[in-house]
Amino acid sequence: MTGDIVAEDREERLAAWLDDALSPADRQAFEAEMEADPALAALAVQWRENDRRIREALSGIAQRPLPEATLALLAPPDPVPHADNDNPRRMGRRIAWGLVAFGTLAAASLALFLNIGSGAAVDPLSQALDRTPSLAEASLPDGRRIVPSLTVRAADGRWCREYRSGETLTLACRGGDGRWMTEASGKGQGPESAETIAVAAGGSDAALDPAFQRLGAGDPVDAATETKLIADRWRR
Amino acid sequence: MAEKEPAGGKLRADILSVLPRLRRFCEAMCRHAGDGDELMQATVERALARGHLFVPGTRVDSWMFRIAQNIYIDERRRVARRGEHVPVEQIDPLPGVDGRELVEHRSELAAIHRALQSLPADQRATFLLVAVEGQSYREAAEALGIPVGTVMSRLARARSRIAILLAQGEGGEDDR
Repeated sequence: MTGDIVAEDREERLAAWLDDALSPADRQAFEAEMEADPALAALAVQWRENDRRIREALSGIAQRPLPEATLALLAPPDPVPHADNDNPRRMGRRIAWGLVAFGTLAAASLALFLNIGSGAAVDPLSQALDRTPSLAEASLPDGRRIVPSLTVRAADGRWCREYRSGETLTLACRGGDGRWMTEASGKGQGPESAETIAVAAGGSDAALDPAFQRLGAGDPVDAATETKLIADRWRR
Repeated sequence: MAEKEPAGGKLRADILSVLPRLRRFCEAMCRHAGDGDELMQATVERALARGHLFVPGTRVDSWMFRIAQNIYIDERRRVARRGEHVPVEQIDPLPGVDGRELVEHRSELAAIHRALQSLPADQRATFLLVAVEGQSYREAAEALGIPVGTVMSRLARARSRIAILLAQGEGGEDDR
C-alpha cells in the first residue's frame, strides 16, 4: 500500500504489518519472518488483540446521543425542509438517509454495544451485520473493519445491507439461518470511512447498482426502522 | 476571526457526519467524558470559525482531528502550568447499560483509559487515529502534520507500551 515507508526495526514493521501499510514484498518478507519466529508471531497476536479490545471498549462512545450544545452549533444557518426527497439534487437518497440517521442518532438513546452476547453460531461478519447500525464501524476478529451504509429489503423479503470494508463495497442479504450472504461486491470510488458515506457523491456505490436492481431492493429503511430491526434481530 | 465567515451548510453537514467519531477521539484523548465533550465543542467552534481555511476535497475528519489535537495540547500545556492533577481512576460511567454490564464495561474501559493515558499525547493521538478511527498512515500523517515514518514509529512505541500495561492489568487489577 505505502511501499515508501522504511521500517526501522522489528516492532515498526510489526505495526505497519498490522495496519496493512507494508508494500506487498515487505509484507511477504515479514510474514516469513513471523513464521520463523514464534515470539514475533505471538507479539503480533497480542498487539492485534489489544487493538481490538481498545476499539471495542471505545465503540460505544460514537453511538451515544450527541450533546445538544454541539448539535446546536451545527444547525443549518437557514431553516431548510428536511423531507426525504427535498434535499439538493446532488445528494442521493442514501446521503439523505445518512443525514436523517444522524439526526435520529442524536435524538434517540442508542446504547448499542457491538460486543453483545457471545456464542452465536454464525460467522463474525454476520454478527457484525446483525448488530452494527449504518455508519457505525465494526471490527472483525481478522482485523477487518466494516461500516454498514444502508439497509434495504429485497423483493423476496430478505433484508440486505450494503457495507464498506476498505475500498470494497459489498451488498449482503440475510438468510433464514442468520447468515449474511454476499450478493455483490465492487470497488467503491469514494473515501472509505464512515463519515464520508453520509455525504459522498452518489457515484461511489454505482458498482452495486445492478445487484440492487436484480434483488428488486426497495428504498433504504430509515434509521428508526433499522434500529428496530437490529433490536428484533431482523425478525420481520 | 470567529465571526469572519460563517461556515456553509455543506461544511456543517460534513462536520455533523464526523461528529460521533470526533467525540470518540476527544474522549479517548481526555480522561473524562465531560472533558472529551468540551474538547469536541471547542473543536467544532474553531472549525466553524475557520471554515474558510478548510480546503474542499480534503478530508473533513482529518481536519477536525488535527484541530482537536492542537486544542488538546494547548489546553494541556495551560493546565500543566497551573499544576492541576486528576487521578486517572476517576472515569465517568457510561449511561444506558445495566448494572453488571456497567461494572464489567467500566472495569475494561478503565483499564483501556489507563493504558491510553499512560502514553504521551502524541503517541495517543496517532494510535487513536490509526487503530481506532481506521485512518491510513498517510491520512494520520496529514492530520497530525508529521511524516509517515513518524506515524509508524509512534504506533510501534504506543502498542509496545499498551501491551505491557494491559498485560499487567490482567495480572490482578482492582479497579471496581
